[in-house]
Amino acid sequence: MDPDRELVEAAAAGSRDAFDELVRRHQAAMLTLARVLTEGRADADDLAQEIFVRAWRSLRGFRGESTFRTWLHRVAINVVRSSQVREGRLNRLFVRRSAREEDAFDPPAVDEPVDAALARRDAIDRALASLPDELRVPVTLRDVQGLEYKEIAALLNVPIGTVESRIFRARERLKPLLEPLWKTNRTA
Amino acid sequence: MEDEQDRVAALLRSMPPPDARGDFVARVNARIDATAGWLVLADFRTWTLRLAPAACVLALIAILWRTPATPAPVAAATMFSPASSTDWQKDVSGDALLDAALTPNGEQGAR
Repeated sequence: MDPDRELVEAAAAGSRDAFDELVRRHQAAMLTLARVLTEGRADADDLAQEIFVRAWRSLRGFRGESTFRTWLHRVAINVVRSSQVREGRLNRLFVRRSAREEDAFDPPAVDEPVDAALARRDAIDRALASLPDELRVPVTLRDVQGLEYKEIAALLNVPIGTVESRIFRARERLKPLLEPLWKTNRTA
Repeated sequence: MEDEQDRVAALLRSMPPPDARGDFVARVNARIDATAGWLVLADFRTWTLRLAPAACVLALIAILWRTPATPAPVAAATMFSPASSTDWQKDVSGDALLDAALTPNGEQGAR
């Protein structure tokens, strides 16, 4: 049962109040997803807005075959991919990847954070950003967004076994990068 | 191994959500309103509905002003003589060519 069903029906019938409520419910998830998928770029907020604009426009085409949340993730992935295509592959390969290499993962110092939550989020962001797209997207959808393997497989249009193996590999690569955070968690 | 996988997953799950600016919903609404104007223009259904009366009037005018079809005037070059080199250079109708081919030479001159 989709917890958003009634709101979705009302919004599809034109209710902006119902759509506002849907935005409120999912804005944090979409902001997080946009941040991770864009590797923490400044325009993640802009993309999160664009996800909801696109969702509003396409809402009448939503047939309820999945939950609204899953459908919204599909919209989000499409919006982010379109934006990446717009930016141009050359720009991504040569400018941003080299910047990423220079900005190689820098674990947070244990005694560093004034705002611990902010520092933790930043550290996880950077650890995720160090992964290639094919690992980052499924592990984010599973562990950060909480989607089921089946949903991720459908979203990414790959077999469920591929999703499982990519998530496994992603966690293996994240393990040493997130080690300092375990230590802080343990000492805290 | 599984424990470590679970630990990474738990850590990622505990990722604090980004701080959404208070006016996020308002900004989404502003963008929807801003794009709505363009979408109306791009929506062919709106176009076709608005243009329907004008299309009806034009169709009506076309029907009322339509004159009955008159038979095409007979071309000047209906008489064709295969012997005449100038006739070969003229625009000659297919009927005249057929006529010339089927009519014996003597009759051609008699016509």
